[in-house]
Amino acid sequence: MNVELTELTRKFGHTRAVAGVSLEAGPGVFGLLGPNGAGKTSLLRMMATVLPPTSGTLHLLGRDPGGYGPRREIRRRLGYLPQNLGYYPGFTVTDFVEYFALLKDMPPRQVPRAVATAIEHVGLGDRARSKLRTLSGGMLRRVGIAQAIVNEPELLLLDEPTAGLDPEQRVSFRALLRDFGQWSTVIVSTHLVEDVAAACTEVMLMDAGRIVFHGTPADLIARGEGHGVGDAPLERGYSAVLTAARS
Amino acid sequence: MTGDELTGGYEGLAGRVLGPHDVDLDRVWLGVAAQVWRRQPGPVERAAGRLLRSPGLARALMTTPSLLLGWVIATATVLLAGVGVTLGTGTPWVGLIAPALAAAGIAYAYGPGIDPAWELSQSMAISDRMVLLVRALAVFGLNAALGLAASAASGAAAAVTFGWLVPMTAICALALATATVTRSPNVGVAAGATGWVIAILAGMDAEGQLTAAITDSAFIVPYLALAICCGAIVLLVTRIPRGAS
Repeated sequence: MNVELTELTRKFGHTRAVAGVSLEAGPGVFGLLGPNGAGKTSLLRMMATVLPPTSGTLHLLGRDPGGYGPRREIRRRLGYLPQNLGYYPGFTVTDFVEYFALLKDMPPRQVPRAVATAIEHVGLGDRARSKLRTLSGGMLRRVGIAQAIVNEPELLLLDEPTAGLDPEQRVSFRALLRDFGQWSTVIVSTHLVEDVAAACTEVMLMDAGRIVFHGTPADLIARGEGHGVGDAPLERGYSAVLTAARS
Repeated sequence: MTGDELTGGYEGLAGRVLGPHDVDLDRVWLGVAAQVWRRQPGPVERAAGRLLRSPGLARALMTTPSLLLGWVIATATVLLAGVGVTLGTGTPWVGLIAPALAAAGIAYAYGPGIDPAWELSQSMAISDRMVLLVRALAVFGLNAALGLAASAASGAAAAVTFGWLVPMTAICALALATATVTRSPNVGVAAGATGWVIAILAGMDAEGQLTAAITDSAFIVPYLALAICCGAIVLLVTRIPRGAS
């Protein structure tokens, strides 16, 4: 298992952002759905080793990130796209992706090819030498995705990756997710249920810090039959599960 | 560039099935792109990479805001002005301004307030604490070298020329600790400058001389104690807790 969480909790003051989440995940694409404030970002940040848990245990890629050595090894094999990724405006696309490839401790000889591959994967080959300050919001998001995948991570954590992408880019991005999901664990936090329907093998629905549903997209759709509110079958499942969890 | 360098190691973007005599142009293109787009590190970055035995750490060092050319030129300009004033008035202004300049550089060396991709940086294999250490040492070393050169050029006595190094260490540690705790380089600069002004005023009060803060050996122990305390605060703040927090 690439991800093993047991009763993972994170508090901010008196607020429990994540309230006892347990999860095991191997290769595949996992969609993390939920309303604002459900705890998705806090959960992803803990898995990205950025935020320590308040309690519970966390094993990533077979290691405990509490120790320096294991944490470093996890981070070498991790790809992370934060919800709010800042950019260095004077960097080119290549500079930015290369910078994080080096900080991921990739062997320097592999870096140029890996950077080129990642940039081509996100369709930014024609802007590779453009300064980041000249790019649109959607392009910047793709730069962020490129840095996340540059080391071909075994654990890929993406927080709202499709925000700002146009429909054509989102279709390409879903294909990329499916590719990665064949051999790595991809966890995607999103509000867009169509991304989940198209790309994810499993769906987790969070509410008030807890996972209230974990199953396949088909399972979630089945939960919405005859219930729920929404235009699409998955949206009806989403609202039905949330309604049941809150009642 | 060899054919292997152009084509080796890539399985193809489009995943097309190729015949035995087909050329995977995607693969060739990636080899070309890797060579064309690659950034050539400058001599300083290459030297830092060899010294630190980490190209990533060297790259992080080269992106330090207070080591960028504009900042270094500004620091040198202020010190040159200090040399002029020192030569004109006989008061060792270089020694009085050098610690504050270094503190500003240290406060702007590292932290969430100056790094747009701070959150992402914290998830990297090369630890942010190591980046902090390397950047802080580099900024300190550069400022010390510039300050010593300026101090020597101003004809100051040896006690003055070297006397500000210890207070500079303390003021830099204070600025760094404050910037780290408050997550704001500006607050760090303000704390460093305020601390230094207080030290100068305390020296004047005790000895009746403007330069007492850098020449009076009685201040060395308090300076070192402040530096150690502030260093401990930085280590505490930048640690990653193992569990509960």
